[in-house]
Amino acid sequence: MNRGNPKKVLIILGCVCLLLAFLPVFTDSRYFMHLVIMTCVNIMLGLSFSMLFSTGLITMGAAGFWGIGAYTSALLVLKAGLSFWIALPLAALMTALVAFVVGIVIVRAPGVAFIIQTMVVNMILVQVFGHFEFFGGWAGLLDIPAPNPIGPITFTSKTANYYLILVLLLVNILGFYALYTSRVGRAWSAIRLNARLAETLSVDIFRYRLAAFMISAAGAGLAGSFYAHYFQTLEPNMFNVFKSIYVQIYSILGGLNFYILGPVIGAAIITFVPELLRVGKEIEPIMTGTVLIFLVIFLPGGILSLPERIGFFRNGPMASSPEKVPVETEKKEGAP
Amino acid sequence: MFLQVNNISVRYGKAEALRNVSMRVDKGEIVSLIGSNGAGKTTTLRSISGLVPYYGGEIVFQGRRLNGVAPHEIVGMGIAHVPEGRRVFSSMTVTENLELGAYLRNDRASVTRDLDRIYTSFPVLNNRARQKAGSLSGGEQQMLAIARALMASPTVLLLDEPSLGLSPKLVREVARIVLDINGQGVTIILIEQNARMALRLSHRAYILELGQIILEGNAKELINDEKVKKAYLGSTQGEKS
Repeated sequence: MNRGNPKKVLIILGCVCLLLAFLPVFTDSRYFMHLVIMTCVNIMLGLSFSMLFSTGLITMGAAGFWGIGAYTSALLVLKAGLSFWIALPLAALMTALVAFVVGIVIVRAPGVAFIIQTMVVNMILVQVFGHFEFFGGWAGLLDIPAPNPIGPITFTSKTANYYLILVLLLVNILGFYALYTSRVGRAWSAIRLNARLAETLSVDIFRYRLAAFMISAAGAGLAGSFYAHYFQTLEPNMFNVFKSIYVQIYSILGGLNFYILGPVIGAAIITFVPELLRVGKEIEPIMTGTVLIFLVIFLPGGILSLPERIGFFRNGPMASSPEKVPVETEKKEGAP
Repeated sequence: MFLQVNNISVRYGKAEALRNVSMRVDKGEIVSLIGSNGAGKTTTLRSISGLVPYYGGEIVFQGRRLNGVAPHEIVGMGIAHVPEGRRVFSSMTVTENLELGAYLRNDRASVTRDLDRIYTSFPVLNNRARQKAGSLSGGEQQMLAIARALMASPTVLLLDEPSLGLSPKLVREVARIVLDINGQGVTIILIEQNARMALRLSHRAYILELGQIILEGNAKELINDEKVKKAYLGSTQGEKS
């Protein structure tokens, strides 16, 4: 794999950020802004999936942890009367805590066992949200207030919510990027590439996978908290396994080896394309599923693997995945 | 006692891989395990580094029982394992591979110093520091696997078939490196198909057959032992030890 030029990456990243920052200026379509906001939320979910994938685990429960974040935040505001700004970090914390408890049990068994167990956890969570009156039952929670205003800024408009999720997404991406380029990230990819070998090199597989499980859950929880107060209505089936499968598709479509850019590209496409094509809600899953099947057969590396596959963009920024840009190495090689 | 294996047995399902194996290794020694395929050499090494569960006995390293200790903790105690088949992380660079070997160590300065030292004693790797490990030749990958284990600054190095599939020239190179590492005070347990080379390198040796130790002793004596000559050293009887 090629390593991207870090300067080029930064310039492109800067341009994208600038464009995104001024996006609301170019459009006054509330519908378009809604899609952009949902894209950001979905990206955060995809990032969460990809973080676990970076340790060699495949989760089918991302939506469940998203739900924990959403319900925690909504209940803290509705029942405990807390401010959104306090509920937001608490929701992420709560999600990580649940992941810790669940993870201790299920992280030890990788492979198919882990996939099934995360799926079952997701199903149980949906049942819990629906069964207990405390969580609003199957009818869900209604009238969740929008995030509390900060000074003159209120979060009732699409634009304000857009900036809020943009900041959350940016924090999420930067945090995950820092992890991927650190010792921790290196250990994760060693585990993913060859767990047995990593173990003989003193990497504590269980601890590192559990950490990834908790951190990825916290990211999903953060997205959940925002979603609850943006959408203002929660219903258990929003967080079912079906959604978890969609989260997988974001990461697979973008490219599984690109832990950050993959979910970004994948979530954007899956959120936008069906809407632009005006496909019906009933037909959309059929379409997405068909696309996924062809993708796995003909382009298993996802869209971002295309440049490398056709030998184009050899040294382009598109060819760089976070795993492949280890900052520390550059320093080391200067030494004689 | 430095490292002692007392009476351990290992089963893979119904198959018995090791039966009542006992061995001792003194500090600073090179000890080889010799035997045909399936004799249990690799299983013995994997037991020592905690990669397979064993029963019946115990493994004691510097007064600490290793039974049930996790592999990564065993590395932390100073026992590094170079698995057979020169396993490297092929999509990572040589430097990244080496840094993974120093994973437990927090002292960046001493890790950098060790990296420089390794690059001095393995010049091949120095030239390829930025290349993907997968692009190295077989011999280079083997050097990398050994060098990576050394990055943990171990007191005991477990080497599983380091010369397998290498050209005669590289086999001699590996032999030189093994002696070199031992000269720096690292105790070595060596598995070799090439029994002659193993016996020449090591101080003592254990001969395994069907999961049991059938013979042990001084390497110099074993190399002249008629039984060993016949079974493991081929028919070239006239060769001097």
